Amino acid sequence: MSKYGLFLGCNTPALRPDVEHAIRKSMPQLGVDLVDLPGFVCCPAFGTFPSADEDAQLATNAWNLSLGEAEGLDLAVQCGSCYSSLSMGSHLLKDPKKLTRTNELLAKGGRSFKGESKVRHMMDVLYNDVGVDKISKTITKSLKGLHGIVQFPCHTLYPSEVVGFEPDKGPPHVLPDLLEALGATVEHYSLEYQCCGGAGGFHKADAPAAHNFLKSKLDAIKTETKADFIVVSCITCLMWMDVQQKPLSEAGEETYNIPVFDYNQLLALCLGAPAEQVAAISTINRDAVIEKIK
Amino acid sequence: MIDLEQSEVIPDMWKDVFDSEDIRFCFNCGSCISVCPASNASPPLLIRRLARLVLLGLEDELLDEDTPWSCVSCSRCEEVCPMGVRPFELGLAIRRWQVRNDETRIPPSIVELYKEGYTQPVSKAVALRASVGLGELPTIDKYPEMLKGYQDMLMATDVVSNNDYMFKG
Repeated sequence: MSKYGLFLGCNTPALRPDVEHAIRKSMPQLGVDLVDLPGFVCCPAFGTFPSADEDAQLATNAWNLSLGEAEGLDLAVQCGSCYSSLSMGSHLLKDPKKLTRTNELLAKGGRSFKGESKVRHMMDVLYNDVGVDKISKTITKSLKGLHGIVQFPCHTLYPSEVVGFEPDKGPPHVLPDLLEALGATVEHYSLEYQCCGGAGGFHKADAPAAHNFLKSKLDAIKTETKADFIVVSCITCLMWMDVQQKPLSEAGEETYNIPVFDYNQLLALCLGAPAEQVAAISTINRDAVIEKIK
Repeated sequence: MIDLEQSEVIPDMWKDVFDSEDIRFCFNCGSCISVCPASNASPPLLIRRLARLVLLGLEDELLDEDTPWSCVSCSRCEEVCPMGVRPFELGLAIRRWQVRNDETRIPPSIVELYKEGYTQPVSKAVALRASVGLGELPTIDKYPEMLKGYQDMLMATDVVSNNDYMFKG
């Protein structure tokens, strides 16, 4: 049994708690114990302190990391932004000057950080701790007969000096391998590695351009694959790709209604968890896919 | 377009913007732009142009730039930059420099973080969480001493202490 501090961030628990419940239901069944972190705060997201003051950024990163460290735990994270922010913070805090300054600040809040607690993405834990064989053997239902495509969370790939958990160089394959372990047929397509475009200030600066950027991806999925669904492992990818299909359909002649799931939602469903708890909130109706999970 | 004739140049401004000497090695190849989602925005985020403004020391032009804020933080630029300039982190550094020099650039979200700890109503989503069978989380507002400690920590940073009127009350 491995044990992690569950770092949820802001979006998942506040807006998509069904994803949180999917994580809480699925991970312990695979031998991963998750512990809550009392007093956690925003990671901080890149648009907040990292855009305003590096001391405040690193102090907030270290605040969260110290909650795990005090319990002797690494953090397990699903949100791409949280994973990237905490990983970047850990990376920068390898600089002894920055670590010293951060500890001066933490002391004002009654905390300290040695730099021991690590940040692990949920996919990393599933692939490298649990393993695809154990996942295949543990599930009681399967995605057999369903075709899926994956949306790689950028924050888990780049910059590879700071983030990532792929076992080898070359094209990433952790998420497709995890999806295949659930019995799905994983399809590949031209814009597979393109960002969803949903994070940060792109859509605030130019919403039509951000919509077109996503549209190009959805068009490629529709014309090049037989995808029944999209699987992500990042709350921003999930919400952006799910929520924006409706306005895109209303704005043009093409209709977009591809169901989007977080990986842990499909995993939890394959482990027998009820959809009303682990896959209840979405804009695009996902019933047709959920009904086929047997 | 960069008009050097019309612009005031601040020598060594780059040292004040970005805590990295590597920015000097940017040779404007455009690799960063070729992979940047926000380069599709109007106006486009053109990181190599921002690097140029920083290196040339064009203070007014850089202060006026909104484009660093359209970054999606995907960090592809950081991955492909052949000169190790770390363009994503440069973009964040430019935002911080703008914040230091112009308080209207301060992201309102940091006030929310100071007051509540989150960018979303994590502790208030009780009904939505209950609808999927989840209870409340051990959010920082439930530990008043921790919240005070977190705020005391942030009050010791420049952006909060220099603009404390925004955070109090």
